[in-house]
Amino acid sequence: MNAIGAGLAMLTALGAGFGMCMATAKAVESVARQPEASGKINSILLLGCALAESTAIYAFVIALVLAVK
Amino acid sequence: MGFLNVVEICVSSICLALGIAGLAFSKSSKAVGDDPKKAKKRKRLFTVLTLFGGWFLIGTLISVISNKKSGIEIEFSLLSERLNIFGFSLAETSVISICITAIVLVLSLVFRFFIFPKFTFDNPKGIQNLLEIAVESMDKFAKSNLMDYSGVLAPYMFTLGVFMIFSAASELFGLRAPTSDIVTTFAMGIITFALINFFGIKKKGIGGRIKGMASPTPLVFPMKILSDIAVPVSLACRLFGNMLGGMIVMDLLKSALGGYATGIPAVAGIYFNLFHPIIQAYIFIVLSMTFINEAIE
Repeated sequence: MNAIGAGLAMLTALGAGFGMCMATAKAVESVARQPEASGKINSILLLGCALAESTAIYAFVIALVLAVK
Repeated sequence: MGFLNVVEICVSSICLALGIAGLAFSKSSKAVGDDPKKAKKRKRLFTVLTLFGGWFLIGTLISVISNKKSGIEIEFSLLSERLNIFGFSLAETSVISICITAIVLVLSLVFRFFIFPKFTFDNPKGIQNLLEIAVESMDKFAKSNLMDYSGVLAPYMFTLGVFMIFSAASELFGLRAPTSDIVTTFAMGIITFALINFFGIKKKGIGGRIKGMASPTPLVFPMKILSDIAVPVSLACRLFGNMLGGMIVMDLLKSALGGYATGIPAVAGIYFNLFHPIIQAYIFIVLSMTFINEAIE
């Protein structure tokens, strides 16, 4: 039962992956439009990706807590 | 020792012998001189053969001697093991973090007294360039975020980054990284929380800080309190989850390879133990600075 719960918790990774893909796509677009601003865009992208990724990380922690006894 | 092991040892020994013989031969026939492109290609082939043969032989010998089966089985706990040192029960990770602190302290003293006096203004090179880039970018970054307090906070943030990177690198020596224990990361998160409130109150006063919490309407006050409390939790969980994830992937790789885990985990470790922690340290520092910036604005 715990294993099923852990697997369900990891479904959150879907949302995180989708969010990161959207952010990266927009970043690529804006770099293509304005290559000179790539440094700033890079740092903002990294921050946004980290924030989007953190939801997946929370799910991962919860899954670990469920799976490891 | 089964039939398969004998075959493996034979094949790997033949590979190794062929590779070494080929390398020695190509070295001795260099004086004769033939097409340099062809010779280069042959040398590369023999190098690959030598490396593969050596790796295979070492892996087979290790797995035969230690009777290690390759198969995926890992066991770990969320909290670290307790060690008994001089009658005190200490967590393994806290002992490792004390060791890392000592190493960083000794390194910084060595840098201060033996390497800094050799630095020159005119033609900087090598490690001086590296250090200058790191410190300068940190200073610039802190100045744009923290304005008046960058002088106080930039060294602390830099220290935090160095500690995180060193602790992740300790995993390369088979130890458990202190940042993969939630206690360490939570301590870092709580320090950030204290800094946010300290500098927020120092800049605006207690009244100003409370007023800032109820800025659009007093209705958002509980929300703001909640989001403030969520800051250290989210910082701690993010770092902890990332480091633990890296550790689990490395453990899986090592257990899946069994006795053959000689050279391949080191290559994977470049990403999971060196590159990934640097990004996580960067994110931790950036987020801490952003939150402090929010409080003092």
